[in-house]
Amino acid sequence: MSAASKENALITGAQTDTSLNQSLLGFVWSKPTRGYKQTLLLLSGGVGALLLSLFLLLWQGVGVWGNNHPVGWGFDIINFVWWIGIGHAGTLISAILLLFQQKWRTSINRAAEAMTLFAVVCALMYPTFHTGRPWFDWWMLPYPSTLGVGPQFKSPLLWDVFAIATYGTVSLLFWYVGLIPDLAALRDGSKSKAARLAYGVFALGWRGSGRHWSHWKLGYLLLAGLSTPLVLSVHTIVSFDFAVSHIPGWHSAIFPPYFVAGAVFSGFAMVVSLMIPARKFMKLEHVITLTHLENMNKVILLTGLIVSYGYAMEHFTAWYSGSEYEWTTFFETRTKGPYAPLYWAMWFCNLIVPQVFWVKKWRRSLPVMFTVAILVNIGMWLERFVIIVISLHRDFLPSSWAMYYPTPADLAMFLGSIAFFLTAFMLFCKFLPAVAVAEVKEQNHAEHVKGPA
Amino acid sequence: MRAWVLGEFEGSEALLAATRLLRAEGLRALDTHTPYPVRGLEEALGLPRSGVSTVAFVGGVVGVLTAYLTMVYFNVVEYPLNLANKPPHSPPVFIPVTFEIMVLFSSLAIVTSLVVYFWAFPRLHHPLFEHDAFRSASSHGWWLSVNSEMPDMVMRARERLDALGAKNVTVIHEFTAAPGGHA
Repeated sequence: MSAASKENALITGAQTDTSLNQSLLGFVWSKPTRGYKQTLLLLSGGVGALLLSLFLLLWQGVGVWGNNHPVGWGFDIINFVWWIGIGHAGTLISAILLLFQQKWRTSINRAAEAMTLFAVVCALMYPTFHTGRPWFDWWMLPYPSTLGVGPQFKSPLLWDVFAIATYGTVSLLFWYVGLIPDLAALRDGSKSKAARLAYGVFALGWRGSGRHWSHWKLGYLLLAGLSTPLVLSVHTIVSFDFAVSHIPGWHSAIFPPYFVAGAVFSGFAMVVSLMIPARKFMKLEHVITLTHLENMNKVILLTGLIVSYGYAMEHFTAWYSGSEYEWTTFFETRTKGPYAPLYWAMWFCNLIVPQVFWVKKWRRSLPVMFTVAILVNIGMWLERFVIIVISLHRDFLPSSWAMYYPTPADLAMFLGSIAFFLTAFMLFCKFLPAVAVAEVKEQNHAEHVKGPA
Repeated sequence: MRAWVLGEFEGSEALLAATRLLRAEGLRALDTHTPYPVRGLEEALGLPRSGVSTVAFVGGVVGVLTAYLTMVYFNVVEYPLNLANKPPHSPPVFIPVTFEIMVLFSSLAIVTSLVVYFWAFPRLHHPLFEHDAFRSASSHGWWLSVNSEMPDMVMRARERLDALGAKNVTVIHEFTAAPGGHA
């Protein structure tokens, strides 16, 4: 094995099925450390803030948020789009990279899918509570109502209901089907009876049968095939919420591809920022190598450039359209308006910062990529702020212009949703295999045994 | 009485070779138990292509019809609203939801049929789990099982597995919990 290929190995060290089983499931079986418990305790404070803000919202109404005319969509929709964008990386890694037969997906797909699920839950919180009376949210579903009315299917907001619900469900199914063999491994390897029982119930009685594997393989592939257009459709439909309206800054045909690229961009940034600490504390450096992280950084660089192209194209179209409203939004309000610093920070985070990844050394440096990933997450949040708030706060009629400021309830819900996300991720790492054990073993096997005899 | 003969092999190659050999010798109710899928197992076991794809297709078609007809019913038949003078039945705006529901129904059909029909799960207990060493089937063991109701076939399978060098060869009867003792 040459030095170059050794450096790029996706599973380092001489691993066997037994050693992989032990090292990949070891964190589940180990006692939680002090630091782990303290972090959870700290995060539970954030989750408390989230619950408090929701309680306040239900007690008083959506007036506790900063939304008001003309900015009817504030933190709620910014955070919804931000979270759902983050949620795209999981399915992209597990489904699209599976179809492209990218071997480096194997070690990171499970954790990224879990991240997707938690991000979708965080995203769903916002529109659910934005309705103000979430106990009536079932009105969005087509049911035979005695009022004789049904949902208005020509509205992109309703398309969103179906897109997000489908995305959440299909991601959960895909994740669970992949988990079943690993749950069986946990059932058979756990020491305590309670653990064996719990994992045994969720493993459904998996016994590794060749017949079952044959169905599993095809079913998993089909789910990947279905998830691939699904993941592209979800953020496309989210972008329709804006693009189908006529507000300058929203009414743009480039929105679908540019939103999808932005979703992948922010999702990969979130995966990188979570994987760097996770691989260290869970001792997974032998399966989540620098090569995996480098590959993700390349995707961040590419999608960052696509996103920046989207920004540039929006400005070009605004100029080319000859519409003074478009021109004002893009060349006056955004660049020189009251929120201009956020706009320029967005360009800095999403265009300038990822350019460091042209240098191989920085692509493989943990401190550099962690910083970039965090800045990209911030940048993508700013992008949604720019699109939503800047476009709304000054539209056609100067007499209706107004500023938007988030309230403490907004901030508590936002920070609380981040705390919830991190809590869920930490619990996932503790109770479920964070790496797809069976798939890593299969890959390890395939690399050492060249083809069937 | 139905019985399973179990044996463990050293690695995937030995398991594959033994599976092919036993199948060629006429033992039909063979199954392998492995921690991950190994290339070539399907043809060694002589399995047909899985029927999951048919289920996925049917699920997708049902999804498309359900979604489209529901939308037509609500927005055309039951309560037509004039929105920006668009016709009540406007196919382009019905595409996104139709697509989403197609994916949803197809995925649900895949997973439900896998669990309930193709795997016949949940089946938390299976006679094979009676054998303690069989635990390794989910982590690093390569097992072969022969399932038969005929005692002479069980005997033959046991002899053949021993002869092929399998470890931990055991016969498990479906009702192992004989009066007075649990196996």
